[in-house]
Amino acid sequence: MLLKNVLVRLITTAITLFGVAVVVFVLVRVAPGNPIAMMLPPGATPEDIANLSALYGFDKSIFEQFVIWLGGVLRGDFGTSITLRQPVAELVLGRLPATLELSTMALFIALGLGGTVAVIGARKRDTATEVGLDLTSGAVLSIPDFLWGLIFVLLFGVLWPILSISGRIDPRIEFDFTTNFYIFEGLIRGRFDVVMSTLSHMLMPAMSLALPLAAMIAQLLKQNLKEVLNQDYTTLARVRGFSETSVILREALRNAALPTLALVGVQFTFLIGGTVIVERLFAFEGLGNMAIDAVINRDLPLIQGIVLLFAALFTVINLLVDLSYTLLNPRLRHG
Amino acid sequence: MTTQPHENTLEIRQLNATLPNGMRLLRDVSLTLEPGEVRALVGESGAGKSMIGRAVLGILPSAVVHSSGDILLEGQSLNAMRPKTRRSIVAKMSALIPQDPLTALNPVRKIGPQITDPLVRIHRWSRDRALKRALELLERVHIRNPERVMNSYPHELSGGMRQRILIAAAFAPSPRLIVADEPTTALDVTVQKQILKLIRELQRETGTAVLFVTHDMGVVAKISQKVTVLFAGRVLEDAPTEAIFNDAAHLYTRGLIAATPTPNATAEPFRPVPQDLIAQLQRDTQAEDVRFYQGGRK
Ligand SMILES: Nc1ncnc2c1ncn2[C@@H]1O[C@H](COP(=O)(O)OP(=O)(O)OP(=O)(O)O)[C@@H](O)[C@H]1O
Ligand SMILES: [Mg+2]
Repeated sequence: MLLKNVLVRLITTAITLFGVAVVVFVLVRVAPGNPIAMMLPPGATPEDIANLSALYGFDKSIFEQFVIWLGGVLRGDFGTSITLRQPVAELVLGRLPATLELSTMALFIALGLGGTVAVIGARKRDTATEVGLDLTSGAVLSIPDFLWGLIFVLLFGVLWPILSISGRIDPRIEFDFTTNFYIFEGLIRGRFDVVMSTLSHMLMPAMSLALPLAAMIAQLLKQNLKEVLNQDYTTLARVRGFSETSVILREALRNAALPTLALVGVQFTFLIGGTVIVERLFAFEGLGNMAIDAVINRDLPLIQGIVLLFAALFTVINLLVDLSYTLLNPRLRHG
Repeated sequence: MTTQPHENTLEIRQLNATLPNGMRLLRDVSLTLEPGEVRALVGESGAGKSMIGRAVLGILPSAVVHSSGDILLEGQSLNAMRPKTRRSIVAKMSALIPQDPLTALNPVRKIGPQITDPLVRIHRWSRDRALKRALELLERVHIRNPERVMNSYPHELSGGMRQRILIAAAFAPSPRLIVADEPTTALDVTVQKQILKLIRELQRETGTAVLFVTHDMGVVAKISQKVTVLFAGRVLEDAPTEAIFNDAAHLYTRGLIAATPTPNATAEPFRPVPQDLIAQLQRDTQAEDVRFYQGGRK
C-alpha cells in the first residue's frame, strides 16, 4: 500500500520533470535571440558564429539536441554554461542553498506572522480587532512581493539605513564555506557573526516574500479556526475550564491547520517563484538571480538546469505537504 | 462564609435570555436542584432546554444575551463573579455530557489526554492520579481494554463507545452537577438503553446532581425525581416526577405524557399534544398573557 504510493509518486514526478524539460528545451530554442552571437564580440563573421554553434551542438535539430542533452542528464551531466563556462550542475547546486535558506526563512516568517495574526483574529472574533486585522491583511495581500522589496529598500536601505540591501553576507567577513548554507554552517561552526550578517542581509528579501503569504495564511487560518471553534469539542473544552486562547491553541489549531496546509504548499511554490525578482532586487546570490542572468545572456544549458531544479524543488515541496498532512491527520495515518 | 447543610447544588433565579432582535429565549426561568437529585428538563424542540444548560455552564451562543436573573452553584452567585473566576468555578463543580458523541471528541487528539488534560490542567491533579482515575472510570463504563482505548483516536471507536467515554470524562473529576443534554438521542435505540442505565448507575453511586435535558417522557419516568416542563422559554410546570405522571397540572404536560408510551400508561392510547393547545400556548406566549399560567390548567 505505502510502497505502491511511493512508486506512483516517483513515476508521476519523473513524468512531470520530463515534461518540464521538454517544454523548456523547446521554448528557449524557438524563442528569438542567438546565444552564440551574444557571446562573440561585435564584427564576428558568420563562419565564427557557425563554428561556435557547432561546438555547443546548436547546429543540430532540436530533437537531436534534446536526445544528446537527455543522455547527459541521465549520466548526471547537465551541460556547461555558455557564459560562465562551468558545469551547470555545479553552478546550480552552488546557488541552491542561498535560495533554500531565503525561501525557508520567508516561509517561517509567513507561518509565524500569519499564524499569530490568525490566532489573534480568532480570539477577538466578532470585534473591531478582527475587522482591523482583516483589513490589514487584505491590504498587505494586495501588494506583491517585489513591491514590498522596493518599499523595504526605501525604508530601511535609504530613509533609515539599518539593514543591508545588497548581497548575501558582509564581504569583509572571512569564512571558508564548505557548504553554501551560510546560516546552517555558521551555526554549526559557532560563527555567529556569519549567522547575524547573513540574517541581516536576508531579512528584507525574506520579509518581502513572506508578507503576501503571511496575509493569506492569516485570513484562511482564521476562517478555519472560527469554523472549528463552533465544533462541539471546543465547547466541551470551554466547559472543562480552558481559556479561549488555550482552546484555540490546544483544540482548534491542529484541526484548522489541516485545510490551511494545502494552500500553504501551493503558495510556497509561488513564493519560491517570487525569489527570481526579489533576489535580483537585493542582489542576493541565489538561483533566481542566476536565472535572470541566464535568460538575459540566453545561456540555454543554464536556463534548463535552473528550471529543472525549480521543478524538482516544487515536487519535493508537494511531497512534504502531503507528508505533514498525514502526520497531522490521524485518520490518514493508519490507512 | 459558612455553607448550610441543605444548600441547593443549583439554583436558577428568574433567568431571562434574549436575542439582539428582542426575541426572548428564556422567560423568568427558575428551578432548583438539590444535591444528588435528577431533574428532567422537558419540552418540545426549541423550548429552550439546551439554552438553560448552556446558561448554567457559561456557554451561551455569542448572539444570546443573558439579560437578567442569576444562577447559583452551591449558593455562589455566578453573576457576581468575574468571567475567569466563573469559568474556573463552573469547571470545577460541573460537567457536561453532550448530545452528539461523534462531534464532541477532538478528532486529532488521542482519547487519553482528552480525559486527563482537564484533570491535570484545571483540577491540578498529578498526572498519575489523573491516569488512574481515567482508567478506573473507563472500566466502570464497561470499556474493554481501557489502556488501548486511551491510545486511540475517536474515529477508531463506535458512537456508543464514544458516549461512554464522554460519560467517564464527565464523572472523572467528581463534579457536583452534571448537565446531560439529550445524551442518548444521537445513538441507536439499543445503545440508548445501556447509556441511560449507565448514567443512572453512576449518578446513584456518586450522588451527583443531574440536570437531564430530554423530550422523551419515557426517559423522564426512568431517571428523574423532579421535572420542569418548558414551553417557549417559560416554565409551565415544575413538580416531582410522580406527580407529573399521575396528575399533571397542565394540559400541555398531559399531552406530552400521552404522546410517549410510558410503563404505567397501559390503557392510554398514543396521541400527540393537540395542535390547538400548542397554538393557544403560542398565542399566549406572544401576548405575554397572564392567562398563560392558567390557560392550560385543568
Ligand atoms: N446559536 C443560536 N443563536 C440564536 N438563537 C438560537 C441559537 N441556538 C438556539 N437558538 C434559539 O433558541 C431557542 C431555544 O433553543 P434550544 O436549543 O434551547 O432548544 P431545545 O429546547 O434544546 O430544543 P431541541 O429539543 O431541539 O434541542 C430556539 O428558538 C432556537 O431557535
Ligand atoms: Mg437542545
